[in-house]
Amino acid sequence: MNAWLYLHFPHLLLDYQLALQPPELSTMPQALTQSHAARRTVVQANNAALQQGVQVDMAEVLASTLVPQLKLHDYDATKESAMLTQLAQVLYQDMAQIVLQPPQGLLFEVQSLLRLHQGFAGVVKRMQARLQQWPLRYILSSGYSPLSAKLLAASGHSVLSTEPADVKAAIAELPIEYSGLPEPQIEKLRNVGLLTLGAVLQLPAAELGARFGRAITTYVAELNGDFSAPQSFYHPPHRFDEQVELNAEVHSWPQLLFPLKRLLQQVESFLEIHQWSTRALLIRAHHRTGPATQVPIQFAHAVWQQRDLLSLSQLHLERQKLKQPVLALSVRVQRPESRQAKEQAMFSAPQAQTDSLNALVSRLQARLGESKVQSLHVHDDWRPEYQGTLKPWQSDSTSGGLLLPRPAWLLPQAEPTERQQWQLQWGPERIVSGWWNADTIARDYYIALDQWQRQGWIYQCDKGWFLHGWFS
Amino acid sequence: MAYPAQVEALVQKGWLWQGQEVPANKAEQQFLSSGWAELDTRLGGGWLRGSVNELQVRQPFIGELALLLPVLSQATTTALWVNPPVQPYAPGLCYQKLTLSRHVVVHEADDKLALWTAEQALHSDAVNIVLMWHAGLSATAVRRLQQAAETKQKLAFVITPWQQQEEARAYVTRLQLERSDSLAVRILKRRFGWPLPPFPCGVDARLPRRRRAL
Repeated sequence: MNAWLYLHFPHLLLDYQLALQPPELSTMPQALTQSHAARRTVVQANNAALQQGVQVDMAEVLASTLVPQLKLHDYDATKESAMLTQLAQVLYQDMAQIVLQPPQGLLFEVQSLLRLHQGFAGVVKRMQARLQQWPLRYILSSGYSPLSAKLLAASGHSVLSTEPADVKAAIAELPIEYSGLPEPQIEKLRNVGLLTLGAVLQLPAAELGARFGRAITTYVAELNGDFSAPQSFYHPPHRFDEQVELNAEVHSWPQLLFPLKRLLQQVESFLEIHQWSTRALLIRAHHRTGPATQVPIQFAHAVWQQRDLLSLSQLHLERQKLKQPVLALSVRVQRPESRQAKEQAMFSAPQAQTDSLNALVSRLQARLGESKVQSLHVHDDWRPEYQGTLKPWQSDSTSGGLLLPRPAWLLPQAEPTERQQWQLQWGPERIVSGWWNADTIARDYYIALDQWQRQGWIYQCDKGWFLHGWFS
Repeated sequence: MAYPAQVEALVQKGWLWQGQEVPANKAEQQFLSSGWAELDTRLGGGWLRGSVNELQVRQPFIGELALLLPVLSQATTTALWVNPPVQPYAPGLCYQKLTLSRHVVVHEADDKLALWTAEQALHSDAVNIVLMWHAGLSATAVRRLQQAAETKQKLAFVITPWQQQEEARAYVTRLQLERSDSLAVRILKRRFGWPLPPFPCGVDARLPRRRRAL
């Protein structure tokens, strides 16, 4: 049984950077280069560049002479490792045991997932489906030991089989250069005519140890799966605060849409792993100088799907202006909460309706600003100005059981008026309250009709008569 | 009722239409009772679902909200208020039996955004009534709202000041409200019928009792 899968991304950094850009840009030839002992060579290239003859390990000069419009950037291993971690988070939705093999590989333990995903083919299919969301070139291979899977994937051989024999055969044909052994060891083995791994494996272990040192016996044991170094499995972080660097300066929000989409896709997998949802995001656009532009985003209801996150964030961003070009974009998840409690109540219809009302409110708040979308509240206070208020939307506004005739409208500020303009109909109702703070009132309220027969709510106090509300 | 063949042909072509009668294909469930019998009979059964209605008021607060209270206080109603003239007062609305948690109030000075808000609400499944206060919507705006209301079978009310000369708008009903002794409602436009002269509507029944002036 082959219990391990290895995923190798030969062009991870470049592919990932292209994934953050509009798809039409990836049709331009692009490559990453690295300095290596006074020689600058191509380490990663996209398909467009490869088709025009650029090759990995080709000198930079040669590549740019061959394809003059080739766009070159610097390779950065730390950035690539960071991306690998982000990918691990995405794949953690399907795979439980992941080992990071920076800078370009991920190792998976399959045995424990066979029942969940209906066998080996199910696991592979699951992983391929997940990877389809990302335009990354990858090689996936199985193996009876971590090292065997790794060697096959890293050398570009994709052997997907449950039979150890298939893997063994492929490994045996692997040239010694792909063994992953240190260069002097490979040299020694080649010198005695051992040109493939198969030839090395055929020799008795004791003889190998005697001739080439103990390191090689450990290597063979590791390859055979007899000995395995302890693996440190990946644990998803409990916070989400990721940043992506952009290849070029960006001047407007619409251009940031692609990187944002990718980041929110990661947010979705982060929330999915923990079975969380969120009510707030912080989007930051980083500039060359000065502080980052921060866009806090609040949702009136808990969301976790990329689709919802994106549409609400977009509405927020439409209101923002970028003052400086952007070099990097980051997203932080704030206030994540468990999804559990919500879903139990989902079956009752009223909950579903409040949920969609909350979704509408989220959308309105995103576009208009939070303070402009309000709900009605009743408070225990006799002073009319405090008894009923409008506050930024909260879904759990309480309905007090008030049965006193009160007007449906309250003027923001009581208007001075003349007693003669009104026919008193009902009253007075004396309200004396608020002696505990500075806002003390002592008023006699009346319901009265004005010259157009409108029902108003007026009061008399020591300063005279005032109109305070309307009934209809 | 059967018509002679030639008349039937005209009806089929839509060149001839029936005055007072609500066509049979407009079944009862397509109307939402306004709560006022005198208004319901004149509108053919109540507010037509999927319609934008205009309430022109001579002065603000003469009874336009009272006219809508029966629909607003229904248990199934979820309403969005766009740009009400002053603060809707929670204790008073409680007194009128409105469920406060089902009312969303939006204040947006920008005309375009206010319309966007109303349209979003009409498209959403959560809200079934939209109230909008506006000085006078353009023909395009009314048409857009009407389209949104019709596809989702929602009700919208636009409360505007009394318009001096009537310009054509896509409102399904246009009412003019005025107060003499009681609230007088004049129907400027309605489905399935001619305009009607003002008639008294007993909305004061929902309000604190009035006493005759001495």
